[in-house]
Amino acid sequence: MMPAFTPEQDGFREELCKLLCEDDVRGEIARSRRMPYGQESGLLDVHRRLGKLGRLAINWPERYGGADATIVEKAIVTEEMIRHGVPENVHSLGIDIVGMAIHLFGTQEQRERYLPGLARGEITANVLFSEPGVGSDLASLTTRAEPDGDGWRLSGRKIYNMKAQHSEFALCAARTSTGPVNFFGITLFLVPLQSMGVVIEPVWNLSEERFDLVTLDGIRVGPEDVLGEVDDGWQVLGKVLPLERTGLDHSAKAERTLAALRAHAPPGCEQRLVELETRVRAARLLAWRCVANLHDGRPDEVHSATAKWYTSETAKEVSVAAVELLGPQALLDARDPEAIADGVFDAALREAPGLTLAQGSSEIMLFFVATSKLGLPS
Amino acid sequence: MTTVGTEAIAGFFDDDLAPLVRRMADRPRGEGGGSDEDSREMRAMVWQGLAGLGALDTAEPVRLAELLGSALYQGPLLDTLTARELAWDVDLGQAPVALAVAAEPWSVTNETISARRTFVGFAAEVDHFVVGGVDSAGPRLALVRAGQPSITLRRYEETSRGEAYEVEFADATVAAWAGSATAWAAALAHARVRQAAYLVGLAQAALDHAVAYAKTRRQFGQPIGKFQGLAFRLSELSMHIDATRMLVHDRDAAEHAAAGLAAASDLARTVTTRTMQIHGAAGMLADNDAQLYYRRAAVESVRLGTPSQLRRETYVAQE
Ligand SMILES: Cc1cc2nc3c(=O)[nH]c(=O)nc-3n(C[C@H](O)[C@H](O)[C@H](O)COP(=O)(O)OP(=O)(O)OC[C@H]3O[C@@H](n4cnc5c(N)ncnc54)[C@H](O)[C@@H]3O)c2cc1C
Repeated sequence: MMPAFTPEQDGFREELCKLLCEDDVRGEIARSRRMPYGQESGLLDVHRRLGKLGRLAINWPERYGGADATIVEKAIVTEEMIRHGVPENVHSLGIDIVGMAIHLFGTQEQRERYLPGLARGEITANVLFSEPGVGSDLASLTTRAEPDGDGWRLSGRKIYNMKAQHSEFALCAARTSTGPVNFFGITLFLVPLQSMGVVIEPVWNLSEERFDLVTLDGIRVGPEDVLGEVDDGWQVLGKVLPLERTGLDHSAKAERTLAALRAHAPPGCEQRLVELETRVRAARLLAWRCVANLHDGRPDEVHSATAKWYTSETAKEVSVAAVELLGPQALLDARDPEAIADGVFDAALREAPGLTLAQGSSEIMLFFVATSKLGLPS
Repeated sequence: MTTVGTEAIAGFFDDDLAPLVRRMADRPRGEGGGSDEDSREMRAMVWQGLAGLGALDTAEPVRLAELLGSALYQGPLLDTLTARELAWDVDLGQAPVALAVAAEPWSVTNETISARRTFVGFAAEVDHFVVGGVDSAGPRLALVRAGQPSITLRRYEETSRGEAYEVEFADATVAAWAGSATAWAAALAHARVRQAAYLVGLAQAALDHAVAYAKTRRQFGQPIGKFQGLAFRLSELSMHIDATRMLVHDRDAAEHAAAGLAAASDLARTVTTRTMQIHGAAGMLADNDAQLYYRRAAVESVRLGTPSQLRRETYVAQE
């Protein structure tokens, strides 16, 4: 359900939109989407600006760079940044996943060390979970953490992660012990990335943002780098991932593409447009229901799975529909002088396949709802 | 030139050549790879090969088009087949031709035309353009020799990273005039059937790629194709392809060309989008063909009209 926004929250959204519509901000966003092939932006001035104002991680305590606001204000920030086209992966990885995990499960020392930089938009972090042979079945991961004195040495290969080249450190899942149950024995580490023992290689893909292949070649981590309990990383993963899975990023993306589609669709598309609009509205409602759950301290995994599935499938559908409705015009890249809507359709089309895969694929969400909500035998 | 079937051409796209053909019009982005020069040479070689095998005079143009789609062939062959259906006073020989036809105004004198045409395929490597336009005399088609200084080309930056151009004809000399509106309508209907067949071939190739991956990729201790959620979806796609293939090879296909192409267009986008999903993140990689099928399907599925335009046209014609 859509929370009833307070007048303060409405005012906050308005103020945020004003900032995001300033000429220099829009210019920076447009430039970041038109970088030469093979290059991509990390944190932008707009991140640093919002960071300085305590807006980026607005729901964190002030002493960590936030503004002690609620998750609702945080969701407004996320929604408006995406609606205004700010590239958001760098933000969602650093703040919504890694920062959130540290905020919830980190030690005092870890929070002080990492959160203020993240919140101010000065540093970012990435996520090293997936491996070449390990995707949906994350519990079977093989990256090893071998004991070394009071710490460990990590070795293994992590792929399909993003923004490693821009990140100070990573949240990395590695195996500290093996046993009959593969959920047990996984530990989460905070790993410095730009250091010896870590090799980052680009893995080019169809979207605007590259993947990274990160080879951990015996890098040493200490007990102070463990997030949560040793061998018990699965617990943390099980709590952080659903928190991040509100679907709000996807519903905002769908809104952005749809707004451009509305502006450019030729006559004859009216019914399809209304159908898409209705879907996008439902997507937004599902996403905000998850935000409201979090706000009430009652996260609901079925709601999260529903929102993730519905919003990402909707965003994908809108992106593909743009081609169907607009024809070749929709395929022009932002770098083409005749691109319509700043090339948003082409970028969305190339991003779309990843939406229903990252952060829990559609099939994994369907499986979860089948077994947990519907009670079907697994 | 003898008229041949498509077996020889199927043999031409053998295991060595096929992977090169699939990427012969895919300009790499940040990732390095072959140069434009190499790609163009490759396309010229494939053109020679196909022409030599009688592709320009095939008795089975629809089968040929499906085969080209399954090979993800990129080049002016389909446009050339359409151009050859129109009656010209000049002999086209085995020259490649690009279509630059739109139901849009142009300015025309007896010997020249001026028009701007968008999304013209392979404009930089054809010998002729068939330019279409509308003026007070109604719709007409002109054959224009390529390479004239009055013709300027600009290559688009677009999703498929292929060979699509904006072409500006500024008083370009006309080599011949063709046909009536009815001749174009007939040629367009055939072109649409071939385009639909091309998309069916493309969809089949994408599905084959997805099926092969579903058999080998393992998660949760088993090949992912063993999960019925995926297996059923793959069979469903296979059945849709089968159904659409029936439409394009039907005796009456040309009569329903626009509606058939709309169906093939939806099919190609659906199959390639699902192929991406089955592949997981691996399908997005620059060297994985899944993303190639996905990007090509986007472009090829709207080359001769969007599905809603095609359906509207069908509906209006039935009134
Ligand atoms: C844009 C993007 C960003 C990403 N960013 C990161 C990142 O920052 N860090 C990181 O570690 N990883 C990242 N990933 C990787 C992501 O976590 C994986 O893509 C995801 O876990 C799925 O794994 P996979 O791609 O290997 O697919 P696979 O697990 O190999 O799955 C292949 C297909 O099989 C389906 N499937 C799997 N199991 C079942 C089942 N039981 N029943 C039915 N179907 C099933 C899947 O849904 C999928 O369609 C990113 C991926 C993308 C696309």
